[in-house]
Amino acid sequence: MNRTGVFVCWCGSNIGAVVDVPRVAEAAAGFTGVVLATHYKYMCSEPGQDTIIQAVREHRLDRVVVASCSPRLHEGTFRKTLARAGLNPYMLEMANIREQCSWVHRQEKDKATEKAIDLVRRAVAKTGLASPLTAASIPVTRRALVIGGGIAGLQAALDIADAGHEVVLVERESTIGGKMAMLDKTFPTLDCSA
Amino acid sequence: MVAAAQHPHIKLMTFAEVLKVDGYVGNFEITVKQKARYVDHEKCTGCGTCWEKCPSRTSSEYNLGLGDRKSIYVSFPQAVPNKPVIDRDSCRYLNGGKCGVCSKVCPAGAIDYQQEDQLVKFSAGAIIMATGYDLFPWEEAYGEYGYGRYPDVITGLQFERMSNASGPTGGRILRPSDGREPQNVVFIKCVGSRDDTKGKSYCSRTCCMYTAKHAHQVLEKIPGSRAFVFYMDVRTPGKAYEEFYQRSVREGAQYIRGRVAKIYQSGDKLMVKGADTLLGMPVELEADLVVLATAMTPSRGYGEIARVVGFSTDKDGFFQEAHPKLRPMETNTAGVFLAGACQGPRDIPDTVAQASGAAMKVCALLSKERLETEPMISSVNRSLCSGCLECARVCPYKAIEEDSVSERAGGKTIRRRVASVNTGLCQGCGCCTVACRPGAINLLGFTNEQLLAEVDALCL
Amino acid sequence: MSIEEKNWEPKIIGFCCNWCSYAGADLAGVNRFSYPANIRVLRVPCSGRVNPQFILRAFQRGADAVLVSG
Repeated sequence: MNRTGVFVCWCGSNIGAVVDVPRVAEAAAGFTGVVLATHYKYMCSEPGQDTIIQAVREHRLDRVVVASCSPRLHEGTFRKTLARAGLNPYMLEMANIREQCSWVHRQEKDKATEKAIDLVRRAVAKTGLASPLTAASIPVTRRALVIGGGIAGLQAALDIADAGHEVVLVERESTIGGKMAMLDKTFPTLDCSA
Repeated sequence: MVAAAQHPHIKLMTFAEVLKVDGYVGNFEITVKQKARYVDHEKCTGCGTCWEKCPSRTSSEYNLGLGDRKSIYVSFPQAVPNKPVIDRDSCRYLNGGKCGVCSKVCPAGAIDYQQEDQLVKFSAGAIIMATGYDLFPWEEAYGEYGYGRYPDVITGLQFERMSNASGPTGGRILRPSDGREPQNVVFIKCVGSRDDTKGKSYCSRTCCMYTAKHAHQVLEKIPGSRAFVFYMDVRTPGKAYEEFYQRSVREGAQYIRGRVAKIYQSGDKLMVKGADTLLGMPVELEADLVVLATAMTPSRGYGEIARVVGFSTDKDGFFQEAHPKLRPMETNTAGVFLAGACQGPRDIPDTVAQASGAAMKVCALLSKERLETEPMISSVNRSLCSGCLECARVCPYKAIEEDSVSERAGGKTIRRRVASVNTGLCQGCGCCTVACRPGAINLLGFTNEQLLAEVDALCL
Repeated sequence: MSIEEKNWEPKIIGFCCNWCSYAGADLAGVNRFSYPANIRVLRVPCSGRVNPQFILRAFQRGADAVLVSG
């Protein structure tokens, strides 16, 4: 049986002023596999993340749902939280109850709360079937290609080469320097551009 | 330039173009075309005898038509590498003629008319795009400035070539028409910039400052001269920029707020008609030279190189950054970075800053021996896979390869074809999962089972 | 329930591509647009990930409309 923890975020008043956060947490507590559902002012803050880590340990959670902002914003943050709690970071699922709920349904608070509950149910269902994932790795060719031999390409090539890496600089004209070398003195210091 | 040429870790490939880029972050496979120079740079010493003796002259691209060069040439005296190439369009020998003088006079025997374009292949972990900009082709758009008919209407970059000590006039500002020093010089800003109807909607960012510099140079180099600047706004956001502009005003540059409506030739003068919108009066000036601050546009061939390397461009053709504020040096293609005006108009300090930033991003990438890949990628259940490879046909990233497994069947060992996912190439889009009839391929993190469970949960 | 009934509200399931329309839906929120709360969005890594089976399943389970966007 899964041991899912659900953490609903108020995001100050961003979510809390529209969505009935305690009601969402209450509803989530009844979903299959959920052993803990709670809420906090700012889930992404340090105390918020500590709440998750402690709950994982105390309730032996094996997967986590965070209902807060868009996963495009804080998925990385909470994956790291799971890793710190000793869980596989991919046992996380987020429910987007801010960008796609509280912020766009400010005039319909009841419906926004119902929708938030649905979105949490979706996240719980998805994470219920999640399995731990591990990143593979590929070798890196330690050489850079720089396309263009003007001031931008030259500066970049020199910086990379000074760091000890190989650089191939490709320039389509017969000489390097680009537009910069065509210039006379340059503003605002009027030094030469060669 | 010399520092780059001498750096032990930098390999320069000039007169070369990137033809093909395969692979992915950490492991790009590059094909470069080394164009034929017809000069063996291993043997050439750069002595210059060949270009002194070459009898064939043609207009110098480097000097933007303000001077000539030979058919065997280096672009400018301090060029790097300081070794010549032969221009195959104007060389008499390469066009079936007889000449061959350079080959006879070369003391090193470096001339090689038989040289051909060569393909060079190598691998790289990261790519920096630094393809720069070109100038807006004002001759095609601005009829009121003469469509390029008047020789004494030039661009700011042509002005730069003239004021450059190693340029075609040895650093003197002269009228292209008769070689005389101009007295009245008119500058027109925003030619092609901030002009939705004829040019580009954006501000080219550098013109206000280089026009202030040009005005300063005219007043400094030509005694008794006058400099007039027609402007829409003066924008000087940069350290010591406003002070520089004020300095050129103090030196006598006359700024006139308004557009120029018409330029026409009158004898050996150019008549410039415009409006001073602050005074609400028409203005007519007699000019000896008119300098246009033309808009920056993406470098020619920008679309082709973006397609070859594999990233997107914006509405104006500048290379698209991953995020305008937070990831200005990255593209949406992992391992491909941006430096300089190829991303959008910018001046030298900003270019140098961005180039160093992009270099830092590359160093961070190359400092690792191995790169972690995103684990949310496709995975094949080989026991279910029928080997039809329909997944490979729909994969937009060419990430699915053919593989085989050995199995015991009916007392014999048989080899069976199956699909295999290249974890470096797979971007996790999941198109393959939809194409797979036996349901053998699934997307980790977005599995069929998970998505169905999500649908069920939302429809409850 | 018939469509003539006054309180009928459609249930819409949206499949949105993470890189474009899901990001667009986020942007609608950031800009504080407002739209009816009837849609429930599912994040997919690409609209090409949407198997027709998912759409049929949504209709089977009572969805009134399905939006695939990417």
